[in-house]
Amino acid sequence: MNGDLASRQAALVAALVSGAPVPSGFDDRLVGVARRALLRKRADDVRRQWPMLAASFGPAWVSTFATWAETRESRGSLRDGWDLARSRAPLAAAAAAELREREALWAYDGASAPRRRGRVSAAVRMWWARR
Amino acid sequence: MTAAPASYGVGIGWRPEIAGFVAGLPGLRFVEVVAESVRASGPMPPALADLRARDVTVVPHGVKLSLGGAEPVAADRVAHLAALAALFDAPLVSEHIAFVRAGGVEAGHLLPLPRTREAVDATVANVRRAQDGLPVPIALEPIAAVFDWPDDELDEADFITEILARSDALLLLDIANVYANARNRGGTPEALLDRLPLERVAYAHVAGGAENEGIYHDTHLDPVSPAVLDLVAALSARRRPPALLLERDGAYPAAEVLRAELDAIAAAAGYPAVT
Repeated sequence: MNGDLASRQAALVAALVSGAPVPSGFDDRLVGVARRALLRKRADDVRRQWPMLAASFGPAWVSTFATWAETRESRGSLRDGWDLARSRAPLAAAAAAELREREALWAYDGASAPRRRGRVSAAVRMWWARR
Repeated sequence: MTAAPASYGVGIGWRPEIAGFVAGLPGLRFVEVVAESVRASGPMPPALADLRARDVTVVPHGVKLSLGGAEPVAADRVAHLAALAALFDAPLVSEHIAFVRAGGVEAGHLLPLPRTREAVDATVANVRRAQDGLPVPIALEPIAAVFDWPDDELDEADFITEILARSDALLLLDIANVYANARNRGGTPEALLDRLPLERVAYAHVAGGAENEGIYHDTHLDPVSPAVLDLVAALSARRRPPALLLERDGAYPAAEVLRAELDAIAAAAGYPAVT
């Protein structure tokens, strides 16, 4: 193979993180094993950022997250958990409270990185979130 | 290029969750920090400053440089690693022979390279770019691969040896990765040790793993197995590394269990216990 390392690496990453077909010649089973290991690692990372969200799914957390994430490349564990939480309303009480507090402290439009809100705005929103 | 100047013995990967445990190791001479988890501007975290005050060596270990990527290594990532080396007055830094992103998409983990001339060229070019921006030598770590590329031109030993020779980099030899690759591909791990340039080893990694779906995964979440400890002894019999470092990244066991692992690594390598 000559001169196409960049495109071949991109095709492999796409197969691993966003559900694209496994490039020809690779062992489908082993790439699948690696893909699932990556999803478990992502699920663990999101669990650290969103402990109440993860706990609300109990032992089904990893499979729930993996099903949601297998066609979505990671935007980082903060945003991955956020996107999943917003898509799963109504959430269990503790997970809903966790989401409300994040929404109070950060402005997140779902498309670009969350931005920390101003102190006064955050304080008012936090007061509402905890009522 | 010279290897690390002194014998450091057994160290451990510093993580915030086990900072108290690490601080309580009386004989500790060195730790590693994950470069992407530490800020290079401003003062160092107090727990690491305390270790430096005890003259414990701190080695920045990068995981996101993507030296094996087809695109040039990011200058800001190299600058961060360089700033950490200066902050900690580190004798060297380390990274992986792997890629972690392509086409702007993050893989989220270290991925294997095709063992081709083209990949050797790309990796060597990136290592040289990194070396140009670093104040200290870099050690390169071969990874554990769950799968291989279909068109390998070189075997693992030749691939690693050629990258190291052409870039004049040091070797960070992960014994658990050597074990994992031999177990998953078939073959004996000692055969790889016999063909690697062990005189380039700056230090070695040791870690635990677990089998899942018929494949051994280098998890850093499980106990170090007796087979990996045997391989530490086999490596040390050939050429003992100046330092060996236990990597543990979560599911932390009780302190006495971690101490016993450090002692077992020291015993296997013939170094004094640090506990």
